[in-house]
Amino acid sequence: MKRILCIEDDEVTAREIMSALGRDGYVVEWVADGKAGLVRAVSETFEAITLDRMLPGVDGLTIVTVMRNAGVETPVLMISALGEVDERVRGLRAGGDDYMTKPFASEEMSARLEVLLRRRHGEAARETVLKVQDVELDLVTHEARRGGRDLGLLPTELKLLELLMRNAGQVLTRTMIFEAVWGYHFDPGTNLIDVHLGRLRRKLDTPDAAPLIHTVRGSGYAFRPAT
Amino acid sequence: MPFVRRPEAGGADSVGRTVLGQTIWRTTTFRLTVIYGGVFAVAVIVLLGLIYLSTADYMASQMDQIVLDQALQLQGVSAEALPEQIRRDLAADTRHVYYYGLFSKGGEWITGNVRTLPPDFPTDGRPRPLNGHGFRLGAQALVQPLPWGELLFVGYDAKTLSGVRNIIIESLFWAGGGIIILGLAFGAALSVGPLRRLREVQAASLQVMQGDLGARLPTAGRGDEIDLLAGIANAMMDEVERLLGEVKSVGDNVAHDLRTPLTRLRVGLYRVQQDHDGNPEHQAMLDQALVDTDALLARFKAIQRIAEIDRLARQAGFAQASLPDLVREVADLFAPVAEDAGLTLLTEISCTDEIFADRELLFEALVNLIRNAVKFTPAGGSVLLRLTACAEGPRLQIIDSGPGVPEDERDAVMQRFYRGRRDRATPGSGLGLSIVAAVARLHGYRLSLSDADPGLTVTLDCWPLLIGQRGQAGVGAPRWWRPAFLNKVSSG
Repeated sequence: MKRILCIEDDEVTAREIMSALGRDGYVVEWVADGKAGLVRAVSETFEAITLDRMLPGVDGLTIVTVMRNAGVETPVLMISALGEVDERVRGLRAGGDDYMTKPFASEEMSARLEVLLRRRHGEAARETVLKVQDVELDLVTHEARRGGRDLGLLPTELKLLELLMRNAGQVLTRTMIFEAVWGYHFDPGTNLIDVHLGRLRRKLDTPDAAPLIHTVRGSGYAFRPAT
Repeated sequence: MPFVRRPEAGGADSVGRTVLGQTIWRTTTFRLTVIYGGVFAVAVIVLLGLIYLSTADYMASQMDQIVLDQALQLQGVSAEALPEQIRRDLAADTRHVYYYGLFSKGGEWITGNVRTLPPDFPTDGRPRPLNGHGFRLGAQALVQPLPWGELLFVGYDAKTLSGVRNIIIESLFWAGGGIIILGLAFGAALSVGPLRRLREVQAASLQVMQGDLGARLPTAGRGDEIDLLAGIANAMMDEVERLLGEVKSVGDNVAHDLRTPLTRLRVGLYRVQQDHDGNPEHQAMLDQALVDTDALLARFKAIQRIAEIDRLARQAGFAQASLPDLVREVADLFAPVAEDAGLTLLTEISCTDEIFADRELLFEALVNLIRNAVKFTPAGGSVLLRLTACAEGPRLQIIDSGPGVPEDERDAVMQRFYRGRRDRATPGSGLGLSIVAAVARLHGYRLSLSDADPGLTVTLDCWPLLIGQRGQAGVGAPRWWRPAFLNKVSSG
């Protein structure tokens, strides 16, 4: 049973998180108060924690700082109405693993949480070659091959492929992709990300091979090996 | 040389020079002191003048008496003894203040130290001022006809009155000059204090203008008129700050509160779309509903984003940034999009200077500008990103070969939600340029549109404008203090 702790003082948001993660098969335990949340986060074992930035009592930044100082390494997804860049930086610096701004689509949250959990479990040592099915990405020589055939990817496409492969099986939203590959935290709008994905897809998924990059309608993209 | 510019410093200096431009000579204190000095000087002149006039009057009557007495004495002497008496009197007059002359009936000189009778001098025995050659001011004389027909001239010139006049004129010169010089010096000295306080007030106002709404004008605590004015202005600013805070939070809350239900609506629509009944008509309606919801969400997001940029602690995220890198990066990001749209995306970089700016915000601005250019340029056209060095700093231009923006619309496109004639058919929030304008505002940069013939050139001058120029630029100053009528962007 995968347990997730949700520290959130807004009941509507909390219910949303609970129903979204419930659908993905998690048991979500909700705490509305910062102090009680901190006690549970430190004393119990959870797969992950969603943490509101602003809470009555003890605020989110303090909770994550205390947790990390106490050696608790549970992945923390910080959720906040404060979207400014320096707020994000403060949240991540304090020990948060990812930062999301309210309001959010629950798909976005599920996707981010999945990535956090995955990162934790698959904390593989520094690999130099990523391999998913017949796709190989050499991080040293910057070469990508599928079935031995060099794909001839450009630098941006290589970064995209690396992100997708490291999170194989996960849904990645356009915002997550823009953040991870380009490093900016604003809404790039229009179809910028789609076009880049389309390029990569054309080089990667040739008609004779099973498609690897899947569009998840309304959410984003996923790199899924054929089963 | 890298461009390391801090807009505040430049701005403060220039305002200190231009707005103040106020020297000591223009202060109220100085003017009042000088006026007071002037009035005092006039009063002194009038006083000395009165003293002189009454002294002259008094002396004239004194001398009249002396001349009359002398004439009376000589009249008592017989005709034969008179010349001898006159010679004796003259010899006795060691101060040389008396003048005598004895003339025959025909006017020929008989004796005395006056050789000719003054012309036109009435011979009626009454004393009169003698203004002839060789006499000083205030000399009095009379001509007395004697019973035997001769004419007796008696004059007196003690030179006292002219002495008094010289003294008074000299006093006027020294006292008047002294009063004026002292007044100027005093006025200047008195003006230094208030002027220094005004400069403090000005520095504080500048701070407010640059976005620190919490700053207040300093007071000396003496309760004088400058304190009074500063107090009034401070109370006004308290109110403005409170109102702005309210307006801002209302606006932000509206955007925020609407975004939450909209996000839920979108999630709901998305779920329905996933599990719908397969009816293609419903599918199309759901798709359209999702597109519309996304458009609404994008708008609210953009509004919040503009508020966020405007609210940013001033220049907190500023650091050295390389514009060429930024340009290359954004060109790289858009290369596939441009290619798909059948456009040539070119970069032209002839400036390697670094600037002091918020890199992430500049990137966001660039993304918005190029997205617009790509959106509005028809296939086969081109978009050029040009980075050149101007004397003041780097200039960034995005030149497209699209339909351009008519001159009468160029001001309007910078405003929120404006969608020009050219973009009614394309999707978009109408807020892209507003975000760019907000970023330009934060940096104090100037954003302008011009004709690329054909097409549109958007120019971002990456150096901070001085506050005095911001009105013309329209985007240099924070929105809250720029009057609406200045909300223009120069187009040329």
